[in-house]
Amino acid sequence: MTEVAENPLLAGLRMRRPPDPCALTIFGASGDLTQRKVMPALYALAFRHLLPESFGVVGVSRTEMTVDEFRERMRQAVIEHARDEFRTDVWERLAGGLHYVEGNFGIEGGEDELVAVLNDLDETHGTAGNRVYYLAVPPEAFDDIVTAMGRRRRADGWTRLVVEKPFGYDLASAQELNALLRTYYEEHEIFRIDHYLGKETVQNMLVLRFANGIFEPIWNRQFIDHVQITVAESLGIEGRAGFYEKAGAIRDVVQNHLLQLVALTAMEPPIDFAAESVRNEKVKVLKALHTPGPKHVVRGQYGGGFIEGEEVPGYREEEGVAADSQTETYVAAKLYVDNWRWADTPFYIRTGKRLPRRETTIAIQFKRAPHPPFEVDLESPLRPNVLLIHIQPDEGVSLAIGAKVPGQGLSIRTVHMDFLYGGAFRVGLPEAYERLILDCLLGDATLFTRADEVEEQWAIVDAMVAPWRRDRPHFPNYAAGTWGPGAADELLHRDGRSWRRH
Amino acid sequence: MTVALSSIREIERELGQLRDASTGPEAAPLLRTSVMTHIAWVPARWAEQARGTLSGLAERHPSRTILLFPCPDEAEDVLEGEVDFRCFVHGGHEKEVCSEVIAIRLCGARAAAPASVVTPLLVSDLPAFLRWRGPLPFGADELDQMVGVVDRLVVDSREWTDVRGDLGRLPALFDRVAVSDISWARTLPWRAGVAELWPDVAEAAVIRVAGPEPEALLLQGWLATRLGRDVQLEHEPAGEVELVAVDGRGARPGRVEPKSPSDLLSDELEVFGRDRVYEEAVRSFSPDPT
Repeated sequence: MTEVAENPLLAGLRMRRPPDPCALTIFGASGDLTQRKVMPALYALAFRHLLPESFGVVGVSRTEMTVDEFRERMRQAVIEHARDEFRTDVWERLAGGLHYVEGNFGIEGGEDELVAVLNDLDETHGTAGNRVYYLAVPPEAFDDIVTAMGRRRRADGWTRLVVEKPFGYDLASAQELNALLRTYYEEHEIFRIDHYLGKETVQNMLVLRFANGIFEPIWNRQFIDHVQITVAESLGIEGRAGFYEKAGAIRDVVQNHLLQLVALTAMEPPIDFAAESVRNEKVKVLKALHTPGPKHVVRGQYGGGFIEGEEVPGYREEEGVAADSQTETYVAAKLYVDNWRWADTPFYIRTGKRLPRRETTIAIQFKRAPHPPFEVDLESPLRPNVLLIHIQPDEGVSLAIGAKVPGQGLSIRTVHMDFLYGGAFRVGLPEAYERLILDCLLGDATLFTRADEVEEQWAIVDAMVAPWRRDRPHFPNYAAGTWGPGAADELLHRDGRSWRRH
Repeated sequence: MTVALSSIREIERELGQLRDASTGPEAAPLLRTSVMTHIAWVPARWAEQARGTLSGLAERHPSRTILLFPCPDEAEDVLEGEVDFRCFVHGGHEKEVCSEVIAIRLCGARAAAPASVVTPLLVSDLPAFLRWRGPLPFGADELDQMVGVVDRLVVDSREWTDVRGDLGRLPALFDRVAVSDISWARTLPWRAGVAELWPDVAEAAVIRVAGPEPEALLLQGWLATRLGRDVQLEHEPAGEVELVAVDGRGARPGRVEPKSPSDLLSDELEVFGRDRVYEEAVRSFSPDPT
């Protein structure tokens, strides 16, 4: 703002501030995440001229390859995974600043070579000593990299550290990880990615709530009966047995994506959309969140079944999974937010693998009309209004309302008013990683998770899993292609409710 | 699907029938989506460009589009309409997203009262944008009426013949309707480039522009009003803006992709408020800049 006041020529320019010159180092550059998400996102940003003019990318991994081989691998990744057409001019602009360092940090001393390459980029590409370190590596590697690069911090320029999940395994390990990161970096320099927060429709949740005067007055326990949040996947573990056996659904999805969706749904209006204001409100919700007890948490594991007509194996038959695995692939839970707005209003959450379809939705179910002055068919009573926020796929919002069926008499039927994101705004929705990487380059941490948020999320998860150590569930307890174990239905039936029909 | 229609009632009926026909028991229902009413006033000589621009526009801004083709010199007083659905498959699914295009020829005396034709067709509660093709007929009834029923007027001063004169007359509309000029949008990267020269250009006296006259004048007006001082223009005609220099310092244009006419218009349709910076720049050409 100061800049606009000083420079009258900037007034009214509808152009986004470009990021500062910088060099982005990707640790884990030969990995799947780099090829499927990070590099395609960088290409999309280059395609739209959103990267700094002085910009370089250094890939670091243990894989032996030359710079040319790395560039070729990244080119193929862009061709295969980018959302935009492949354009040679755009690629060459990006590839011109692309470098590769082979190294096993903390063991073979690749860090000095990396520092030399980065310093060289400052000279040749004008990256001005500004650094982004992107940790696309397993958590076991964090310590060596963070320490090595932390000790080699430059006095000039800024440094930002991007950390991919999982942020620990439980509260204690998350605190340990946060302590490690803060040994060398300030909290404002740490960008913990939960890619769900980069999705347009998740951000639209905030707009829906806080830019529309009609919702906020009824967004509370007086008008809302309950909230259901579903993160369903039809895929299995896709060869990630090593990770999934340790994490399970609760650490893979509930600890991060699901609790973030709960926080965004339940949070109070922030005073502005600055990073700290938004994150302060989310933390308040997470602090107020609890599950009423072990009976209100259901876990499941899929057995064999059918997805889209194709027979698929059970979890224990997946490659790399123990034959007697006790890892959960499904979690459902009832949560309460202990504050004035939400007291006694249940938030039902569920996530699972090998469910009938891929779907992430937030359903706000309102209380029934108190006294409908119509003759109501007891077989099909009036249904309550539901505001359905589709995060993926078919991004959008729909509202279920009762409407009169045309003709004699007064039959009422539920109809959906749909707002399809892609219908109203016919531009390609940016991938979450594009938004998040650009925000990081700009230094905007609003859509990243703060240390205290992560720790609160782990405290909730720790409380949910503590009783699990005492018993051995009878797995598998749901067939692939179904909506989870019967106990999950029971969880709602006990409250006189049911999961939303699909 | 195109049918000739001779009244607003027939146009509305035909729209309803098209919607009904699209929701048969076998077919997935069409989603009629509108984010605005987009009206285009298209004299005969601009018809081809207008249809070309529309084809690239409808997909990005699903709207009810009303194309008005005035033919005031024809002897017969005629309203002749056609309606059509422009549909796009949504995200590879069965659902199609459709928006309505209404094309109306207004001939003879009917061309003198366009607002009465447009008003019943506006989508309630959504903004209405008017793209006026060609020079603005200041003082004419049709412009006066149309400005009264829309929220934003979009022009392209490259289509004008007396650019300096029309810029001088344009501020008379500013208090009635928000105005966008596509030529002004084309100057955006150059304005960003000049802004980067700050503070070296704080005392600027001369701006040199190689480019079309409208862009050159708008850049001059912009720089003068932003700095609050007289700035002389040295203008070399060219098809696109090729060079902008302030007191001999060359500006590097901000990085944006070259845009098609559809994209430029699309960008303007995303702006809802008044552009005060533009208005001040244009007012500098008015005989009474206050």
